[in-house]
Amino acid sequence: MKPKDIFSYAYSAIKLRKLRAALTTLGVVIGIAAIVALLSITQGLQIAIASQLQKGFATDTLIVSAGGGLGGADASFSLLVNDTRTISQIENVTAALAIIQRVGYIKNADGRTRRATIVGVDFKAYKEVYGSTFTAENGEVPLNPENTAVVVGKRVSDPWGNGTLFCMAGDTVEILWTNTTARPLRNETYTGNVVAVLQEVGGFSVGGPSDTSIYIPITHAQSFFGTDKCEMIIVKLKSDDKTTIDSTAKAIRSLFGGQVVVTSATAVLNIISSVFSTIELFLAGIAAISLLVAGIGIMNIMIVSLMERTREIGILKALGMKNRTVLLIFLTEAAIIGLMGALIGVGTGWALAELVVRIFSANGVGFGVRQGGQAAIAGGIAIAPVLTPTVLLGAIAFSLLVSIVFALYPAWRASRLKPVEALRYE
Amino acid sequence: MALLNKVEAGHLMAVVETINLRKVYMLGKVPVEALRGVNLKVEEGEFLSVLGPSGSGKSTLLNLIGALDKPTDGKVFVDGVDVSTLNENELASLRRKIGFVFQFFNLIPRFTALENVEMPMAIAGVGKEERRKRAAELLETVGLADRMNHKPTELSGGEQQRVAIARALTNNPRFLLMDEPTGNIDSKNAYEIIQLVKRLNREKGVTIIMVTHDQRLASEATRTVHMLDGLIVKETVNKT
Repeated sequence: MKPKDIFSYAYSAIKLRKLRAALTTLGVVIGIAAIVALLSITQGLQIAIASQLQKGFATDTLIVSAGGGLGGADASFSLLVNDTRTISQIENVTAALAIIQRVGYIKNADGRTRRATIVGVDFKAYKEVYGSTFTAENGEVPLNPENTAVVVGKRVSDPWGNGTLFCMAGDTVEILWTNTTARPLRNETYTGNVVAVLQEVGGFSVGGPSDTSIYIPITHAQSFFGTDKCEMIIVKLKSDDKTTIDSTAKAIRSLFGGQVVVTSATAVLNIISSVFSTIELFLAGIAAISLLVAGIGIMNIMIVSLMERTREIGILKALGMKNRTVLLIFLTEAAIIGLMGALIGVGTGWALAELVVRIFSANGVGFGVRQGGQAAIAGGIAIAPVLTPTVLLGAIAFSLLVSIVFALYPAWRASRLKPVEALRYE
Repeated sequence: MALLNKVEAGHLMAVVETINLRKVYMLGKVPVEALRGVNLKVEEGEFLSVLGPSGSGKSTLLNLIGALDKPTDGKVFVDGVDVSTLNENELASLRRKIGFVFQFFNLIPRFTALENVEMPMAIAGVGKEERRKRAAELLETVGLADRMNHKPTELSGGEQQRVAIARALTNNPRFLLMDEPTGNIDSKNAYEIIQLVKRLNREKGVTIIMVTHDQRLASEATRTVHMLDGLIVKETVNKT
């Protein structure tokens, strides 16, 4: 029998029981839709986060922080602001800047207080590394700032995202910090001038500017926090190729006798993407179970169909149909159901993903990431579901595979029917 | 229809031959001897009827000749080929050379008359256009030119059996096997069916083996073998 005839025969058998075929297909649709929706949302989320990271986290940078290798580092070891000078000497390093970071408060002219991360940086160097994000929306970031200069993140200026400003460029604010190492505890405070409000960065970043931080000049931070130690040193490299990153990271580690952790943006991105791959696999696994259930549905229907059509199979065999052809007809029926289910399922899954993303964005929940204990969300990341060809084709192939595998047994039984007995079957 | 003309004058060969054919069924745990050594020879161009009461083994004989079932003992030769030596695939191929006509028509309900007649050709891998043309010709031969696009449920018993006969003829079979072909049809239509069968035999030279329990129907054939309790007990040549 020609493949075309096998197909049209199988199709005519499906058409005969439309509702039943539709319900069986629905099972497949649900399974495939679940897989596609989950995967396209997680992939969209992954891409959104990765792109956010790349924005706030230049790929040609390394982040150096205290903390040793295995076995624990010397607890007394700290990075110093001055260490930037030695790091700058290393080959391939174009700039190194220290970051001092404390959690403190900012008080506006009305006397209202908000918690914020206070970051001491060299404005000029910081702008060189994070040119695209350390940029003022309002006011101007000074390259040679006064000690009182304060640059605030978007969410510090506009915490509720509705235009009700907490502070703006030109305002005088009070910066507060509790020195917990002093006995008794001491509240430090000084009056600063907001010189600039940064553009919205969105999402989060490591090292790079964030919407919920306050930036003050590094020299002033040193005296205000009373320290020469810094939390991290950001190192800008000549290029972002792997060998440069690896060799420089190694050089920095050996410079500090292995007492520092050197993180590259690329490495963080890789870790995040591997975490996402695991999540993706897990979610896809759960969705795959629903497809297996659909497969059992197909098997069930094929067995019922086999019983209903026993006599028909007997007729076909009396007319000279080979066992192999009977087998193929049954498998083709299952494949048609699997394919239809896959196609409808991919469409449904995609629509579902769009819907879920839209509902979440509309509610303002976003896929934002809470930062620094802030009550407000650090800017939702706009995510768009992503359907890669791999997921698309994989879903279709998986659906076909499940349908055919579960149809194997009924199809095999159909093919083995004895013509005389099948013809006698009522 | 020249294709159907297989009879070459003066040269008759056995299309079907059975030698000491035995078939034992297990009915639960009780063995039932349906055939107890049947020897039968059917020549090309013959119209043979097998007459016997129910339980005489005539349907079993038909199933064995039609390669639908395997004998317990003895041999069936179709066109000189020992059926017992064939595997499943070869049996399927052999069945394409045999035209079956069943008592209950056994048409596929979801297909039209035309599609039902096309089916054996589709199974044999004949192209759509060719089989459509041939199916239409055959339906015309059995007098159903105007009912081609009707489904079995829209046809009378007589019409359904004509479709079944047309279907049996599609692959130019070596012989037609008919199992009570008029058993489910009213007498007027039964008469027409038997006239059609006789015409096919006489004019197209189709070899026919017909099983029936109806004495009158059996006598329409050129030769009748009488079966009883799994044996051929008598043979008569009919005047037609």
